[in-house]
Amino acid sequence: MRYADFTPYDIILLLQGLGVTLALFVGTTLIGLFLGLLLAIVHHYRIPGCRPVIVVVTEALKNSPVLVQLFLVFFGIPAFLHIRMTPVEAATLTISLNTAAFAFVVFRSGIESIDRDQIEAAKVFGLGRSQILRLVIAPQAAAFAVGPLVGILVNQLQVTSLISVIGVFDLTKIGNILNLRTLQPFIVWAVIGLIYYLAAKALAHAGGRIEAALRKSVKWGGI
Amino acid sequence: MIVAENVEKRFRDVEVLKRVNLRVEPGEVVTILGASGSGKSTLIRCINGLETLSGGKITVDGHDVSTKAGLVAARRASATVFQLFNLYPHMTALQNITLAPVEVLKLPKTDAEARARALLDRVGLSAQADAYPQQLSGGQRQRVGICRALAMQPRYLLLDEVTSALDPEMTGDVLRILAALAAEGTTMVFVTHEIEFARHISSRIVFLEQGELIVDLPTAKFFAEDGGLAVPRIRQFLSKMKKD
Amino acid sequence: MRFWRVIEPYIGFLLQGFALTVVACLLAIAGAVLLGALTASMRSSGNGLVRGIANAYGDVFRNVPFLVQLFFFFYGLPELGIYIGALETGIIAMSIAGGAFVSDVILSGILTVDAGVIDAAKVSGLSRFKIFTRIVLPIAMRVSVRPMGSVLINLVLTSSILSTITVNELTGAAKIVAATTFKPFEVYAVLLVLYASLTTLLSFAISAVHHRLNRFMTGG
Ligand SMILES: Nc1ncnc2c1ncn2[C@@H]1O[C@H](COP(=O)(O)OP(=O)(O)OP(=O)(O)O)[C@@H](O)[C@H]1O
Ligand SMILES: [Mg+2]
Repeated sequence: MRYADFTPYDIILLLQGLGVTLALFVGTTLIGLFLGLLLAIVHHYRIPGCRPVIVVVTEALKNSPVLVQLFLVFFGIPAFLHIRMTPVEAATLTISLNTAAFAFVVFRSGIESIDRDQIEAAKVFGLGRSQILRLVIAPQAAAFAVGPLVGILVNQLQVTSLISVIGVFDLTKIGNILNLRTLQPFIVWAVIGLIYYLAAKALAHAGGRIEAALRKSVKWGGI
Repeated sequence: MIVAENVEKRFRDVEVLKRVNLRVEPGEVVTILGASGSGKSTLIRCINGLETLSGGKITVDGHDVSTKAGLVAARRASATVFQLFNLYPHMTALQNITLAPVEVLKLPKTDAEARARALLDRVGLSAQADAYPQQLSGGQRQRVGICRALAMQPRYLLLDEVTSALDPEMTGDVLRILAALAAEGTTMVFVTHEIEFARHISSRIVFLEQGELIVDLPTAKFFAEDGGLAVPRIRQFLSKMKKD
Repeated sequence: MRFWRVIEPYIGFLLQGFALTVVACLLAIAGAVLLGALTASMRSSGNGLVRGIANAYGDVFRNVPFLVQLFFFFYGLPELGIYIGALETGIIAMSIAGGAFVSDVILSGILTVDAGVIDAAKVSGLSRFKIFTRIVLPIAMRVSVRPMGSVLINLVLTSSILSTITVNELTGAAKIVAATTFKPFEVYAVLLVLYASLTTLLSFAISAVHHRLNRFMTGG
């Protein structure tokens, strides 16, 4: 027995870490998807001046390391604006924006991929702009978007591990703590890795089911 | 000599070749005729080892294609030209032709290239040596395919409908080359729907009917009233071909 | 301008960090492509066991956060009596993680190779190994330049995570500069733009390579 061995209490520690990771993941996913959709809609309707800004910002977010984004938000913004920010706030802001950037691309191509004929048809039947969006564009875009979105979210779940670096007590941070205390890196990181793995698999599985269900309903609606 | 004895081929439970017997002596040009789906391509693919036999035996110059060592030797002895050319898309015409001579025959690169250029010259493509398949017309691609096969200096040339993906003009180019090869005494096993051409260059014609080799006759005899034409199925096949 | 004066003394240090990032990325990319090609060939093998092992590797390393993988190697390797530097550990971890993604890309490239082309190679007497290295892999690589490019760009972004195991590559160096100059916002903003420009340049390069390699390769 070297250092301090594992205790039953460590299970609770792990569960707490997992809870923080999942809560942050779910929160940032909801915000990110909403924001991404909003950006895609603004982009779609060519609101003056918005397009270039949206494109530049999302490209910057997609093409720079999330760790640097986290540092910019957590260390940079408070120093620049002289405000206080907790690690959880910084993590939520960063990961949400990051998810939004990736989701934006999916939603945009989802909207673009819809057959123009159908929009034309809707116009012929006398539907208004918002009705076209709600009845024609949105359901189809959703069906197109689910597959890629699930891929993005599986990736974002893993990205959340980076928030441990700015001091959020997520699953990875718990791994750090157990690693330091027990000095059993193989066991600790294998267990942590396994938990992430199972979470990713569960997420992908759920996504697959949603996708299948949506495709079915869109097919039915398309007749 | 290519010898097929009681060759059987099944895909799952579908019998595609049924106890086929065939001998091809050096210097012969043997044409395989038969309706679509009768098993012509499958027979060729059994000879060059792309399909494994379900029964029977095929030897090429005594090398059994169902053994590992035999297949290597058999593939050295023969070369195949394909209906859809199957050129390596990432290589130039010259590279397509020299790859196997360098890698398999261990020819020095310069010798292989000299051989390839001579072949390209012969088929009228010396200017296209450095072109990629995508830059060539169908007829040009098939001529490269023939050069690729000839560069291995095979004793037997296997050709499976090598002109059926080409328009008539290009078909003429390719057939002229094949006729010249036949005149030189190149041994060929030839699947084609060009009946007149087959009649012109073949020494023998065999006819496949639903996987069975029902007729194997010298060319003249095959087209004689008391020979092949006496078989109703063949008469029907030939008249249908003429109409098309 | 005031920012420039503050940052100027550290430019050399930051450039060293940048050089380290470049070295780490180049080595990791080479490792990832090699490992990915090997894994893809195993995943397209006829042997079920070989296929299973390769699939499991890809599956695990694509579904566990890179940070966790990195800690596993960084803290775990000394446990095995393997003492290598943090940079080396980082490069190995990046190669292994990258290889899992690269194998996906190459495998889907392999599956696009026309069966007839492989038939032609087989009957010409080329060995299985030669067919794979001279025909299948080169064609697969050509069609997968673009998806491969996004994997490699991701690998470059991932390299910033090496800063968490004491490697002073670009992000690690910037962290130190941000702390000593008390200008975290400016430093990290510049860093973000730097990475974005780097990966944008890289994606232009990838497009160029794609066009060059696929000039004559639409269709068979
Ligand atoms: N890989 C395969 N799997 C299952 N069935 C096959 C396969 N290859 C060929 N067949 C079947 O075997 C039969 C013979 O096919 P084959 O290609 O040898 O005919 P063919 O005489 O060359 O016809 P065609 O003149 O159209 O080229 C066909 O019924 C075909 O569907
Ligand atoms: Mg055929």
